[in-house]
Amino acid sequence: MKSLGSVTAGDHILDLKWNPEGTRLLVTPTTGPVLLADDAATLLQEIPGHGMGNGSSDWFAGSPATCGFDGKIRCGSREWKPGRGMIEHVRTSPDGTLLAAGQGKALHIFDASGSDEKSLCDLPAVVSDFAWNRKSPTEIATAGAGGALLWRLGEKEPFARFDWGGASLQVRWSSDGRWLATADQTASVHVYDIPRDNPLNMEGFESKVRALAFSADGKRLATAGSPVVTVWPCASAKGPDGARPIQVDGSENEVLALDFSPATGQLATGDGEGTLLVVTFEKGQFRRKRARLGTGISALAWHPTKPVLAVGHTSGLVTWLSMGA
Amino acid sequence: MSRIPVTILTGFLGAGKTTLLNRILGENHGLRIAVIENEFGEIGIDHELVINAEEELFEMNNGCICCTVRGDLIRILGNLMKRRDKFDHILIETTGLADPGPVVQTFFVDEELREQTFVNGVVTVVDAHHFSRHVGETHEAEEQVAFADVVLLNKCDLATAEELAETEQRIRAINALAVIHRTTRAEIEIKKILEVGGFNLDRATELNPHFLDAHGHHHHHHSDISSVGIEAEGECDGKKLNDWISKLVRDQGQDIFRMKGIFAVKAQADRVVFQGVHMLIDAASGGPWAGRPRKNSLVFIGRKLDREALTSGFRSCLT
Repeated sequence: MKSLGSVTAGDHILDLKWNPEGTRLLVTPTTGPVLLADDAATLLQEIPGHGMGNGSSDWFAGSPATCGFDGKIRCGSREWKPGRGMIEHVRTSPDGTLLAAGQGKALHIFDASGSDEKSLCDLPAVVSDFAWNRKSPTEIATAGAGGALLWRLGEKEPFARFDWGGASLQVRWSSDGRWLATADQTASVHVYDIPRDNPLNMEGFESKVRALAFSADGKRLATAGSPVVTVWPCASAKGPDGARPIQVDGSENEVLALDFSPATGQLATGDGEGTLLVVTFEKGQFRRKRARLGTGISALAWHPTKPVLAVGHTSGLVTWLSMGA
Repeated sequence: MSRIPVTILTGFLGAGKTTLLNRILGENHGLRIAVIENEFGEIGIDHELVINAEEELFEMNNGCICCTVRGDLIRILGNLMKRRDKFDHILIETTGLADPGPVVQTFFVDEELREQTFVNGVVTVVDAHHFSRHVGETHEAEEQVAFADVVLLNKCDLATAEELAETEQRIRAINALAVIHRTTRAEIEIKKILEVGGFNLDRATELNPHFLDAHGHHHHHHSDISSVGIEAEGECDGKKLNDWISKLVRDQGQDIFRMKGIFAVKAQADRVVFQGVHMLIDAASGGPWAGRPRKNSLVFIGRKLDREALTSGFRSCLT
């Protein structure tokens, strides 16, 4: 692995997001300006931050979209303050036409003209996280107290409920549209086989699951919180149901960040001590490369087409690493 | 890493929480205080250090109130703890109708928050003129007092001397442990709000040496929420004490809002400090006795407490 360059933000890196073309990287620290850099790690722009804290960012209509504790969304020259209360995430729909932002019990959904008529309001619970369905861009899942709800834009009621009474902190939807996974306050992961309406509950994690990611083909789900990363198989008819997961050890501390490469299928993990693992899966086995990168790793983002990994640290440093062939 | 103190500010609608909050944010006390505000009132506080968030209750165990925590706080505080420039203090303003239980429980239940923060105190603002009416209308007003370490008996200028005396007596009957300050327009030295030092039995006995006295309170009391204080010489058997408290919170935890104890445990040189909220309990070394008399003190604040049963139960733990 070879360093291609780096930039430094003012605080703990919360989120890294490549644009769809892979020419720009959006670097979101916990506080302070959001940085825009190119694929050669050249800093291009500093975008004003969101007061007491930034939320995760995304790309919308060709511009960086940011949000935060000030309750504002900024996208290019536009700024929206849709209601009172913090905004923790903005996420663009898979077809790039809509931008969603959770705020209290509302999921604001903007189109490129700024219209928010597709928003979901007065939801049963505060939206702690949400995820778009990559297979069907008008479907979105919200997570929060009670579990997860699946919505079709334009409809007032959810078309599916995974309401198991728990407390979901994060939600991810597999790219094939089949699986929905939530990480929960109770050190558990819930996975839903949507077509079969079959909920699976995975418990017994050492600690709260802090990171959750599906592989780009939807065949694997990685979960982490402790130093051991668990990778669940999702390719078979029954998916993780009754299957033995792969346990990836080698981290020295709690794993804080996970990301699967869309280009190579490799999994990158980063822990609180700065240990980076790059895991390659082969026929039910895996091999890993390990590197110590100094301070804790808090965010990871693979380039959409190249074997290049952006690594964000708790110190504010972001490094571009080439993983070679 | 030193843990960051958290103050929970609660109080019924219109009691003066926002006035107090504005005072804290406006005063030159030299502290960097982050404020998390759940109260979406008409007059919001527009301040760079204020985060507005909607209250989000997470029921972690089939709706058991003792296992209900606040998801919004977990995520906001988790984010604040990542910052390079940490705050000196965090203040959480709950809604006027909030049950303080889940807020306090969040700091017991979430491992990361336990490591990085601690509840320095629960401050409840009470409207001196309207408290009796509030108590009659909802159970939240009483529960907010029951959870308090400090009560600000506010709007004293609007109440008669008799009303003040009666309200103070009523508060004392619910919560024998809380420090009560009479205020007008929430005018109070900020350190009396921010330097509470937790649910502190030592402080309480210094302020009121008789507060643990079982016969010390004969207030006319309409509520089923009250305090029970127990004090006993001698040493506890650690196992018996553990078994008794475990059974007690299992059977009656829903009705016990807060509990605090300092124990002299056999074969342990240091004080054992204990605190709990509903079914969640925590015990730790309280340091050496340092010349103080080696005795046991225990306080319960809750609903339908049976003083005799609690006292005899505790006494059965003595060696």
